[in-house]
Amino acid sequence: MSVQIENNPLKFARKILSDLRASEDMGLLKCVQCGMCTSTCPGAKNSDYNPRGMVEKVLEGEESIISDEEIWNCFYCYTCHSVCPVGNNPCEINQILRGIAIDKGIANDKVGSFAGYGDSFLTIGIGAMPKSFFMELNEDIEGWLDFKSKLEEIREELGLGSITISNESIEEINTLLKKVGFNKRIEELKK
Amino acid sequence: MTADIKSSNSDKDLKVGVFICRCGGNISDMVDIDKLKDSIDLDVVEEFVNLCSINGRKIIRDKVINENLDRVIIAACSPMTHEKTFQDYIKPLNPYLMDMVNLREQCSWVHENIEEATEKAICLINASIGKVKQSQAVDPITCQSPESAIVIGGGISGISAALSLGKQGIKTYLIEKTPSIGGNMVKIGKVFSPVRLAEECGMCLINPVMNELIWNPNVTIMTNTKVLSAERRVGIFNILLERSPRYVDSDKCISCGNCSDVCPIEVLDSWNDNLSTKKAIYRPFSQSFPDAYTIDIENCKKCGNCIKKCSMNAIHLNSENELIPINVGAVIIATGHEIFDPKLRPEYGYEKYEDVITQSELGRIMGVNGPTKGKLKMQSSNRVPKRIVMIQCVGSRDEKPDGHKYCSKVCCMVALKNANIIKNKYPDTDVLICYTDMRTPGMYEKYYKHGQENGIRLMRGRPGEISKKGNSLIVNVENTLKKEFMEIETDMIVLSVAIEPSEGTKEIAKIFDIGLTEDMFIKEIHPKIKPVTTDVKGTYVCGTAQGPNDITDSIVQANAASAKIAELLHDGLEVEPFIGEIDFEKCNLCKDCIDSCRYKAISTKDDEIFIDPLSCSGCGKCLTVCKSNAINIQGNISEKIFATIDGMLKGKKDWEQRILVFLDHVGYTAADNIGVNRIEYPKSIYIIKVHSINRVMPKHIIYALKNGVNGVFIGEYPGDLMYDEVEKRIKNMKQKIKEYGFNPERLQFSTVYIPYFTGLARKFKEFDTKIKNL
Ligand code: SF4
Ligand code: SF4
Ligand code: SF4
Ligand code: SF4
Repeated sequence: MSVQIENNPLKFARKILSDLRASEDMGLLKCVQCGMCTSTCPGAKNSDYNPRGMVEKVLEGEESIISDEEIWNCFYCYTCHSVCPVGNNPCEINQILRGIAIDKGIANDKVGSFAGYGDSFLTIGIGAMPKSFFMELNEDIEGWLDFKSKLEEIREELGLGSITISNESIEEINTLLKKVGFNKRIEELKK
Repeated sequence: MTADIKSSNSDKDLKVGVFICRCGGNISDMVDIDKLKDSIDLDVVEEFVNLCSINGRKIIRDKVINENLDRVIIAACSPMTHEKTFQDYIKPLNPYLMDMVNLREQCSWVHENIEEATEKAICLINASIGKVKQSQAVDPITCQSPESAIVIGGGISGISAALSLGKQGIKTYLIEKTPSIGGNMVKIGKVFSPVRLAEECGMCLINPVMNELIWNPNVTIMTNTKVLSAERRVGIFNILLERSPRYVDSDKCISCGNCSDVCPIEVLDSWNDNLSTKKAIYRPFSQSFPDAYTIDIENCKKCGNCIKKCSMNAIHLNSENELIPINVGAVIIATGHEIFDPKLRPEYGYEKYEDVITQSELGRIMGVNGPTKGKLKMQSSNRVPKRIVMIQCVGSRDEKPDGHKYCSKVCCMVALKNANIIKNKYPDTDVLICYTDMRTPGMYEKYYKHGQENGIRLMRGRPGEISKKGNSLIVNVENTLKKEFMEIETDMIVLSVAIEPSEGTKEIAKIFDIGLTEDMFIKEIHPKIKPVTTDVKGTYVCGTAQGPNDITDSIVQANAASAKIAELLHDGLEVEPFIGEIDFEKCNLCKDCIDSCRYKAISTKDDEIFIDPLSCSGCGKCLTVCKSNAINIQGNISEKIFATIDGMLKGKKDWEQRILVFLDHVGYTAADNIGVNRIEYPKSIYIIKVHSINRVMPKHIIYALKNGVNGVFIGEYPGDLMYDEVEKRIKNMKQKIKEYGFNPERLQFSTVYIPYFTGLARKFKEFDTKIKNL
């Protein structure tokens, strides 16, 4: 690989550091490539994902990491952050990289199926599991569907209020979300 | 405003002589010497081609004596070059009655117009005449500290320091809080020799040194002893020691060990890192000094068995603590280190798994005088481990809570050493070191290569956790060079834990009021050029009390500290007399000054404020906080500043711009450098050298502005202890200037650095232009 004179590899790392989601004291530039993160990462244990390798690519300015399939194997467990001796946060870096991938529209296959979550904000005013996941969940958790359908009754019995939001509030949430372009973004993801 | 110039009548009668140096043309080529001489209205005005020569001395000395001169002005080069020379040439006159005018570095070398340079020279000499009349004959203060020292801590550093002091004829007390001297070095078993590529017996190396120390007539070794309090007075430390009893009279005890045989109590032996037990009456280790048994009184149940058994009658169970006051002239802190508690990193399972140990414990296990008599065995099964994984940087280079940001410096070498010892004795055991970086500078690199040849394996990666599978331990690590996640099965894991400051170090720092680093080691006043010197005059540090150090570095520091002490005690101390003095009539003991002093010079003594002349820098900070005006500094510094300002403004024409520049030692040297490099700056720049920038008061600046100065430039080196102070004061000064109706922009504060003289010259030019445009 030839490294051109005007090519400063750290540009990419600085872009990540200045992302809204990056914690202010993230030790990205202090990474010593010790691999402690990888050695504790459940993602690394079960796939070819390598948080240290991801950080290395970021520090070398290899933006190709954005389209790397492996970054989608992070569990967001933050173990890497808790062990990193220099206060780096591979988990956060991963989130930022995924964000960039989504913005670029190259991750729709990864997140499109979750777009239903977004829809629920528009339709019922809160984040809720899309119907398409119901059957799968019912297989994993016995009696889940039953629980789901009787939720309001159970809540009443427990003396808890309803989780349904008034139409007026849903209207208001809709207006807000439309103003910030939320619905457009959801539509994009579905493409 | 009335300036506080004391222009007593006698000023006029003082006989001043001016001696002008041509400096072989360096000055006279740019300054018209005849015109300069004509401008001076004094009887004695001499010139010579080079005043610093022997002939120059004759001219000066003859005039001083024959003409009965009261004051002398040498108009020549920078005082930085020749002040001491001319102070000597004016004898028998008091050295502080001479002033130097810098006609070379700050006049002829920075101006390119003869007329301008001559005018400036005239003005500088005028200022000097005013100033020198304000000077007083003061004698340098000499202090003589007692020829004795205390060394706190009896490890290899303290032992080396005490021995060196003793050999230089200095009475030395070596204080150790445990029952024996020796410290960690006697515990670690083998030490490595990078040059011979071999491991050697640590005890055999330290033992002759200990023996030499024990026989040195100047050294008193006090074990079971700690420092209770300390007080510092003009080069003397009054120290109160507390010696706790060893319950066995070391003069009588013959170390037969009969007592130990009959003692019913068994306790964990900390000397073996708690891997074995000892009796309540015990000897710390076989070569311990004093050569006697001692009782662990906390665990002793006073059955008296030992007393009955001891044929020497050496045991006394009812001994008490003893307080011992001593006075010494200097202090060495050699209080050593502790190690990082591996329990703080639960992911490494130190508490959970028996076969996870530290390098120190491995050292004891491999030691022939250790719990297994040197046999390598697993704690859990008594068999020789088939594989050992060493984990580096545990608690070092670690920013997580309780971790240390620094590198502990010795762990790479310690791991290699223990790995080599294992490889030599048990070649079939696989030893794998998991490292982040291998740090083996200098000759140590050869030992590293030697280890690789010996079959030590290395893997670059920092393990994140340890678990157990069946009878084996599993290390999770990424081999970062292969980019491969690994689960390594092993029998034993050795943690290379960090070196950290000992509690004793922190306590001693508090007792002596010595500064600590952010990592809580003893701080050196300037780690780069004043190693081993702390921020309290007369106290030094060596070994791991200063930071992570190996044995060799500790000994080097110990010797350096002892050399510094010999320097201090043998030479006596001559200090510049311009230091704080208390007027006890005025002082109301409010103690405001004590905390204000950055040099830790002020304390109370017998209900009086006391300024230690050895520590006081004469910065004048205390003057500004004392509401009762009870502190004074000799040398009429304030008056001299006023007189200099007067002189420098003399003859100033209305259209002419003059700027006063106040610089201390560092700034003045930078200004000299401008001249040495022949860089030109405006003639309007007039430099005044002050002892400390802090001595320039708002009253001086306002006086200057009122008397027609166009701008004031104050420069300070940011490394100066007083820098923040000065920076803060400048803001107030600007405010004051404004109140007096002057534009605050006429005052400029700036950083100066000796090597960055070009920057200073540029700042002079810029300020000159800025003032012109105001
Ligand atoms: S643990 Fe931290 S320092 Fe080590 S490789 Fe991962 S991100 Fe870098
Ligand atoms: S947050 Fe992601 S990268 Fe970090 S340890 Fe968990 S799975 Fe691995
Ligand atoms: S105290 Fe007495 S019995 Fe014990 S070692 Fe000393 S001399 Fe022997
Ligand atoms: S002059 Fe400065 S150094 Fe001396 S006692 Fe006062 S504040 Fe401390």
